[in-house]
Amino acid sequence: MAVTASAPPRGRRKKAPGRGGMSRNAGSDTRAAYLFIAPAIIGFTVFVVYPLIRSFYLSLTKYNGLTDPVFVGFDNFRRLFTVDPAFWPSLRATGYLVVLYVPLSLAIGLALAMFCNQRFAGVRIVRTLAYLPVVLPAVATITLWKFMLNPQVGLVNTILEKLHLPTSSWLGSSTMSMPSIVLVMLWGVGGTMIIFLAALQAVPTELYEAAKVDGAGSASVFFRITLPMISPIMLLQVILQTTAALQTFNQPKILTGGGPGFSTNVLMLSIYNNGFSNLGRIPQLGYASAQVWVLFVIIIAVIALTAKFSSLWTYSDNTPD
Amino acid sequence: MTTLPTDAAEANALADSPDRAEANRRTPDSRPPRRRRPVRTASWYVTALFICSVMVVPLLWMITIGLKSRTAVFEVPPRLLPHEFNWSNFIDGPKAINFGQLLLNSTIITVLCVLGGVLTAMMAGYALARLRFPGRKLWFYLFVGSMLLPGVVGLIPLFQLYKSIGWYDTWLPLIVPAFLGGNPLFIFLARQYFLAIPYSIDEAAKIDGAGHFRIFTQVMLPLTRPAWITMAILAFQASWNDFLNPLVYLYSSEKWPLAVGMASFISAFAGQTPDWSYYMATNLLYMLPPLIIFFAAQRYFIQGLGSLGSTTQK
Repeated sequence: MAVTASAPPRGRRKKAPGRGGMSRNAGSDTRAAYLFIAPAIIGFTVFVVYPLIRSFYLSLTKYNGLTDPVFVGFDNFRRLFTVDPAFWPSLRATGYLVVLYVPLSLAIGLALAMFCNQRFAGVRIVRTLAYLPVVLPAVATITLWKFMLNPQVGLVNTILEKLHLPTSSWLGSSTMSMPSIVLVMLWGVGGTMIIFLAALQAVPTELYEAAKVDGAGSASVFFRITLPMISPIMLLQVILQTTAALQTFNQPKILTGGGPGFSTNVLMLSIYNNGFSNLGRIPQLGYASAQVWVLFVIIIAVIALTAKFSSLWTYSDNTPD
Repeated sequence: MTTLPTDAAEANALADSPDRAEANRRTPDSRPPRRRRPVRTASWYVTALFICSVMVVPLLWMITIGLKSRTAVFEVPPRLLPHEFNWSNFIDGPKAINFGQLLLNSTIITVLCVLGGVLTAMMAGYALARLRFPGRKLWFYLFVGSMLLPGVVGLIPLFQLYKSIGWYDTWLPLIVPAFLGGNPLFIFLARQYFLAIPYSIDEAAKIDGAGHFRIFTQVMLPLTRPAWITMAILAFQASWNDFLNPLVYLYSSEKWPLAVGMASFISAFAGQTPDWSYYMATNLLYMLPPLIIFFAAQRYFIQGLGSLGSTTQK
């Protein structure tokens, strides 16, 4: 006791660190905490940190997965941007998909959410059915749509014919192939809807009541209350949907295999084909890694830009959490 | 706007809806009587009907195809209802792709992924929300930040890593990540749930002499049931539906899960017309487990995702 009392305050603080009111048994808490998050930390290291470093290194090498990677500097990137005839079309296809899919998914998702946020008999059924395609396995729904879009015996053309509307060869046409893929993706719009629905339900009803008292029309209620109040979720959705759309793989892989021509050969499919294709070609893992990094940089840029300009159009009430 | 015939119109609209009983049950309670607007009500039901058909008709059509004979599938123009019902498709179709084996594979992989994913995420969430330790903010931000990291970055290095340690063409690359807190979204969800529980509860447990392990398993897990049920459902879905990972990591067809088996059903035999009636019958069986879970646990889907929405909004 006497020894502790005469010890300088520094030493005592070291024993029981005063940061943010750590409890007295901080030591045992720390040990327990690290035991509890150990799996997650190992996972973070192995599945996040290691791949980041390793894939960047691989992008600078010539590597077939069998012999050791050979360092070639930025040669893969040079080849991508100047030599490879398939790269720019794949970048264009990816961009086209994002530009077509993201705004439609957000608009339709929000419209559906607003519809399902009303009170009327049967609204729960609509909500459930709209979300249903999201829970179904991607392979199952995509193949179902592959058959639906069959030009001769598919349901889509059959219905269009019955309604005397123009039909299309859908996946077989290089102009309609990407819109078809987006159509199939939009069938899963219930995922977007459910997030927007939660956001809409979090908007305080007093705001709507006040607007009603002031005699605001439905358009101004939407643009001045609904949209600003859900703008943080909108921002999150823009980021999530865009990054997901940039990594679209299942639909083009199953529906079109990238064709016709290069019309649906999105970057992810190109990466898969270069890195893992079992079409008898030698895998080009270094080259595919370079493509991964192009995609990665695009994704980071999209996130950064969206976040940077978010203050322009998202609403924040500036209350600290 | 409110005139006499409106009531009749709305009553009609309600009578047409399958939810009439529900509507009747709801109207009398505390809410003030609604103003009735017939045109609006009617257009709502038309819209609702349209949305429902867009979602349901493809599935009904799948069942129709699944019941048709192999040749009837290619009738032009297609018949919307099958001529005769080929129930045998539901037996012969699955046989054609060795469905039993694929189902078993999918089940084993999925069960382990759910177990590992939920357990390690709950553990991490517990530590991050309820224990004070140096670095807890840092780890939280790192985990949350990694949600934004595109999965594609890991594709090639991890493939190589697994190959070099002999895990290629085994289930380990699909399962082990789940046991290492593989889904940062789950860690985030778990932490949010744990934060909402009053701290006096652990203090009481501590006074009673419980250690962290006991508090976690006997106090916290029962209290956070909705959280981990939601996560388990999401983990089930993710694993059952995953296509890219098994496609990349599994070579032998006898180790495939259903997703890869089903995709190969229609694409492997290039040049040969796929047997659509067999396929659709089998596809329905593949969809059945997620469908059953969805309808059984609907509120958890909505609740879980709803809580995700509201917590990220704060």
